[in-house]
Amino acid sequence: MSAALRLVEAFSRGDRRPLRILGASGQLGYGIPSAAFEEGLRRKPDMIGCDMGSIDIGPNYLGSGAMATTRVGAKRDLRKVLISARSLGIPLVIGSAGSAGAAPHLAQTLAIIREIAREDGLHIKLATIAADIPREEIKLAIRARKVMPLDTMPELSEDEVNAASNVVAQMGLEAVRRGLETGADVVVAGRACDTAIFAALPAMLGFPVGLATHMAKIVECASICCVPGGRDSILATLDDEGFVLESMNPTRAATPSSVAAHSLYEQASPFTIHEPGGTVDLSHVRYGALDARRTRVSGAHFEPAETIRVKLEGARLVGQRSVLLCAATDPRFIERHEAIFAGLQDLVRCLACEDAPEDYTLFFRFYGVNGGHDWKTPAPSPREAFILAECIAPTLERAEEVIRTTKQGLLHYGFEGRLSTAGNVAFPFTPPEVAIGPAFRFNIFHLMEADHVERLFPINVETL
Amino acid sequence: MRLDEIATTIRSKNAGPCLLTLDLLFPNQEAFEFVCERISDLRLHVSRCYAKPAAQVRIFAYEPALSIKITIPRDIMSGDIGDRDVYGAQQHAPLLEVAL
Repeated sequence: MSAALRLVEAFSRGDRRPLRILGASGQLGYGIPSAAFEEGLRRKPDMIGCDMGSIDIGPNYLGSGAMATTRVGAKRDLRKVLISARSLGIPLVIGSAGSAGAAPHLAQTLAIIREIAREDGLHIKLATIAADIPREEIKLAIRARKVMPLDTMPELSEDEVNAASNVVAQMGLEAVRRGLETGADVVVAGRACDTAIFAALPAMLGFPVGLATHMAKIVECASICCVPGGRDSILATLDDEGFVLESMNPTRAATPSSVAAHSLYEQASPFTIHEPGGTVDLSHVRYGALDARRTRVSGAHFEPAETIRVKLEGARLVGQRSVLLCAATDPRFIERHEAIFAGLQDLVRCLACEDAPEDYTLFFRFYGVNGGHDWKTPAPSPREAFILAECIAPTLERAEEVIRTTKQGLLHYGFEGRLSTAGNVAFPFTPPEVAIGPAFRFNIFHLMEADHVERLFPINVETL
Repeated sequence: MRLDEIATTIRSKNAGPCLLTLDLLFPNQEAFEFVCERISDLRLHVSRCYAKPAAQVRIFAYEPALSIKITIPRDIMSGDIGDRDVYGAQQHAPLLEVAL
């Protein structure tokens, strides 16, 4: 019998006790600091959870199917948590496998896990939960008016559904719970709410869902909720009235203000957490110091929704990307950069398109001026500035043609007041052009009403 | 009083790919209340610095963390063509100089 099912049996006999949950990593594949993780294991946790993905990393990974971490980094971290969970005999839950949690990401993660099991002689009952949503399912929902845009997104069209290279939905704790209920030792979920990873086991054991979800929202980021924040493992101890947080690195403290501040992190509102099955109300949460390094949190309340709504995420190809890297040190160039870049757009269009319509986008980020932020207020000119010119075109060959034409045009562009007639920019190396490849955009970020949530997130069980 | 003189944390990040969220954390009740009393002024500054209509600037005061959260739509969706900051982690800088 799996550790999760043993816990269910013990709890149903009336043997209830606080649950210890170890948040090993908020970004599996970027390294798990060993000292804090090992301290966490010494506390005899009841489960280990790791988040492996996010939408914050942009559309490329979901669109392309690639992982954001290296395979070797992911394997190193997966080995660490798999060996530890098996040697303690406790469940391991991994969410948003392979960065974006679509089929190719799940497949890469599973291939690594199978490889580790073989190399290290681990025996694992493994449940995997897919998060890919069939296009037909979404189109039916669009026709039934059961899909609605999130935030600033437009209404979803069937054409966009067809165009997306991968479409996933964030599964909630219900799906991870079904994974644990199969008797699996390890549950690997495709795209999942980060809370589902940590709240599913407590929900199975009858802990209040509001508290479990609030706890999960904090521990999924490991020790980021501490001062100073960091990636060390964190231990949460959950009971029926609240939970206690403690970083497994003794130099990091979970204080009432640092934990409260984390409720704001990457959330549009500090008062609610939206989950597929309902909303967690944080308006009456209390944070109290147990000692200098531990904080107890209580007061989160779960309000179940009448209709389950899952968050859909999709990304589509928009073209091929090629870039140019160079710098300007001449104050006259820097002063007149807007006119220069506008003139260059016209020049490149004439050279690369001749009489044909423009089939690409070309734009300039001028670091030192507006590279990282599109400033709305004026500022003094910098001494030098870096130019990142970017072209997105239908083919990589076309993007390279445009960007190399841009490079030569920029080097010799004659602008008003120019003194330096031998060349306008400094190239750090040659070639200064880099062919990057496919470029993606998020084209689906919508809520979909789901009547049969079990069918959306099917489970496969295998024994390694 | 400039925000970078009274806040202990001023940060920005995506809240999903369409929204940018800015957090101001204060060291004590006094500083928190100073800003809470000037929310409408803060909204005008944010509206000007980020070129957003005031109606699109959502501001929440969150007393348990002595913090104020500001959420606005992103100019360009995270990672879309022409975006400058996929994670949205460097969009706080205009707030540093805001004086209330």
